[in-house]
Amino acid sequence: MTRSSIYHPNRRKFLAGIGASGATVLGAPNVARAQDNEIPIGVLLPFTGSQGAYGPDMRKAAEITTKMIADAGGILGGRKFKLFFEDDESTPTAGLAATKKLLEINKCQAVIGIWGSPIAMAIKNVLIQANACMMVSGAANAITDGDTKGLVWRYQAKATDWGPAMAQAMISRKWKTISILAQQNAFVIPMIEPAKKEFEKAGVKVLDTVVYNPDQPSYRAEVQRIFGGSPAPEAVMSLGLLTDFVSIVREVVRNDYKSKIMALSIMADAEGKFIQSVGADVAEGIEHFQPSPPLGSPNYARFQKLMGADANALFLFAGNTHDQICTLALAMEKTKSTDPLVYTKVIRELCNGPGQKVDDVVEALKLVRAGTKIDFVGAGSDCDFDERGDQLNRHYGHFRIEKGKQVLVQIIKGV
Amino acid sequence: MIAQVVLNGFVTGMIIALPAIALTLTYGILKFPNFAIGAMLTVGAYFAYIANAWLHLPLVWAAVLAAVALAITSVGVDRLVFQPLRERTAITLLVASMGVSFVLENVARFVLGNSARSFEVAIARPQRYFELRVNMEQIYTAATALSAMLAIYIILRHTALGRAMRAVSDNPALAAVRGIDRERIARWMWVIAGVLTAIAGVLAGLDRAIDPLLGWNYVVTVFAAAILGGLGNPFGAVLGALTLGVVEETSTLLIPPNYRQVVSFCAIAFLLLARPQGLLGSVRVKR
Amino acid sequence: MTAYLVTILTLVCIAIILGLSLNLQWGLCGMVNFGMAGFFALGAYSAALVALSGAGTLAATVTAATICALASAATALISLRLSDEYLAILTLGFGEVIRLVILSEEWLTGGSLGLPGIPRPFWGLVSEKDYELLFLGLLILVVLGLFIALEILVRSPFGRAIRAVREDDIVVATLGKNVTALRVKAFAVGGAIIGIAGAFHAFYLTYIDPSQFSAIITAYTFMAVIAGGRGSNKGLLLGAAVIMCLIEGSRFLKDVVQVLDATQLAAIRLILIGLGLILFLIYRPQGFAREYSLKGSKLISPRT
Repeated sequence: MTRSSIYHPNRRKFLAGIGASGATVLGAPNVARAQDNEIPIGVLLPFTGSQGAYGPDMRKAAEITTKMIADAGGILGGRKFKLFFEDDESTPTAGLAATKKLLEINKCQAVIGIWGSPIAMAIKNVLIQANACMMVSGAANAITDGDTKGLVWRYQAKATDWGPAMAQAMISRKWKTISILAQQNAFVIPMIEPAKKEFEKAGVKVLDTVVYNPDQPSYRAEVQRIFGGSPAPEAVMSLGLLTDFVSIVREVVRNDYKSKIMALSIMADAEGKFIQSVGADVAEGIEHFQPSPPLGSPNYARFQKLMGADANALFLFAGNTHDQICTLALAMEKTKSTDPLVYTKVIRELCNGPGQKVDDVVEALKLVRAGTKIDFVGAGSDCDFDERGDQLNRHYGHFRIEKGKQVLVQIIKGV
Repeated sequence: MIAQVVLNGFVTGMIIALPAIALTLTYGILKFPNFAIGAMLTVGAYFAYIANAWLHLPLVWAAVLAAVALAITSVGVDRLVFQPLRERTAITLLVASMGVSFVLENVARFVLGNSARSFEVAIARPQRYFELRVNMEQIYTAATALSAMLAIYIILRHTALGRAMRAVSDNPALAAVRGIDRERIARWMWVIAGVLTAIAGVLAGLDRAIDPLLGWNYVVTVFAAAILGGLGNPFGAVLGALTLGVVEETSTLLIPPNYRQVVSFCAIAFLLLARPQGLLGSVRVKR
Repeated sequence: MTAYLVTILTLVCIAIILGLSLNLQWGLCGMVNFGMAGFFALGAYSAALVALSGAGTLAATVTAATICALASAATALISLRLSDEYLAILTLGFGEVIRLVILSEEWLTGGSLGLPGIPRPFWGLVSEKDYELLFLGLLILVVLGLFIALEILVRSPFGRAIRAVREDDIVVATLGKNVTALRVKAFAVGGAIIGIAGAFHAFYLTYIDPSQFSAIITAYTFMAVIAGGRGSNKGLLLGAAVIMCLIEGSRFLKDVVQVLDATQLAAIRLILIGLGLILFLIYRPQGFAREYSLKGSKLISPRT
């Protein structure tokens, strides 16, 4: 090697590399930007990583809703939404880079979807600073804390509401002793203390609480400690995600433990994957709980049809993205503006009422154009908000698995 | 309670023992730690899953198929990646094996996605002996692992191949002088490693659901077991694995269960301070 | 558009700092740090906790660097009598332990909920809109500073001694140098640099949680270093840029290629990185550039 090559990397390759990267970034203007009569909306969802299972349905709901609005003539005199989907890879750092792309390159002034709480936390300040509207599906309380300029809206139950509601469901089953087995993650942990307080109030004894890490090779020790403790609890409140739940349940069955299990629906249903993984025999009798869409209501039934599913389909999160798109459309139409600082001011009025109850967004748009007051009810919830942007009146579904099918036990209405 | 915990530890240790043997054989014969052992385990589990869930083979046959498939894959990977790097430092090979780990894990992810899968196998109720609960999976695991270890023992001690492997492991130059073809031995080593790791993959897949991260969760523990037993010594690997399994499980009596892995790590850190060659390793001259 | 590029450049700078540390520990000293992600987390959390307590971001950065340096020194001491592969595994284990502790000790680290609201250096000096640019400027200064410091270190007697240890420590010991002290010091300096990277990561995101520090960071850093040429800091600049373009570029690929779903695209991206690593190691172990070596002497370039 000559002296010069020691100090200078191959210049041609270097320039080629920079050129290629530059081209990638700058060279796709047609795909990366919305046309003039389109309104760019960013949709940040997990498609890969540990939460990757939930992205696709939320995406589908957003696309279907957008199409429905576009087919009915769009808003603001014929303008349509153009959706830009980004994968947050279930990590905040990727979510941050994706959000920056949505804001800067795709020129979105609203970012919706946002399933995971850590991702929401990481991008919150960026969005507020950019005066962009932020609609999340995450449960961590901190998301709506602080000065949000009215831009942050949560289409989900807060973790601290969720915990007591689930405790209520367990209390209603008349179990006297319970133990808690929880995964260390951002939406589960805040549920535990409020749930325990609720149990205390009702005189139910909490025997033991064990918090486990995700991605362990085996949960045998945890299961044996909780289920095999003496005395064994009548029921166990199991909080986590699908993969660890499958291991835990199999371990419980293998060891022939008798305690009943109450889990979250993202574990025990997960779009049918749980029963598929363990088989109907093992799943028999397991109960689960989740903030649900308003089951049995006409608005939810309409949504099920929209998604092309049957009347038993349980869409835990997809309804939220449908509602987010609808809210955006209605708010923009009402204020005749695409500026988030302007249109977010009318969201509560449109969603809480008082006004004519309407669940079909096309209908609702007509009413708004005619100047009628409405009370929009969504596919994910009744869509009522408090002044912090948190949802009120969320329904919770309590289910039991019987003979391989999900059976609704009761609906609990939250705060 | 203690007996139960020790039993659990033993069985967990058996699952770890198989890839630990594979790892230690690779280290002994090819002189580098194979970081891809976790991904190989995952791929082995997926092969078995495909055979079991898509082709509807009973689990035993699925395991056999997986063993063959993984053996072929391992030899292939060796040919493509490790053979060109044969003369390089152990660290280069280690980093290359990290690359292999990525590729294997993500090919599995590409084909089968991220969601957890399970074998189509009925879950049986446990047997009870005195106060101990022994479930059927644990019995199968123990039986399979012990048979595999017995087979390895026989191969290493009583066959020409085994003698050749031990020779290459002890002193490659001398072995070459004696006419032992290192490449041939390497191929056989990968075959054995593939079979062992695939079996471990099936056992792990029975224990918990199969997803692309299955093997990754075992990597630290497998390495710890092999190091504990002394890298290069297969019997040490077994001893290390069983010890680690028991230590990890018994530690849950004293500390919160989510700190189990810390215990393994601390155990090997302390052991290495006192006895760098591991329990059964021979003292190695550095470089 | 500029704001997006500013983000990317900021992330690249942090990656470069990590790469500089790896170049020092591995390139210069031949000590493999597989637990980089864990030390990175240690630095980020230390800085965050100190900054949150109100002591200021400078104190936070210094604390992070010190804690990581001490932890690295401890790890190096334990592995003294072991060969390189053992150090690799030990650091891997250590990294995992750190992650576990961060995840479990909620009272200190917030557990999986993380630490929000981390203060930023020189916040308030400029308007909110311009802050990102200021931060990037600061970061570039830090990178340059480290770069220059390391180049000086490489050419110093310490640097020469360390490289000699990498090649053959017995000879060095024979010459009367304290090999142990050299290795520990070098590893510790590398650790301090990781601590600085962690601190800036915390300041930039203002919110940290355990999921940000997965082992893939270690892999990306190795990739950047190998692509740039192990030991070469100039090459690292290019290597880090290339890796970042690969990662972010695939984001744009998605807009254009609709055939594969997101999981598959993410899988392909990682497969490409793995393959890239392997191909570089086989065909171009020296990466894009060569390490600094004494004039014309190939004998001193590292055996890869």
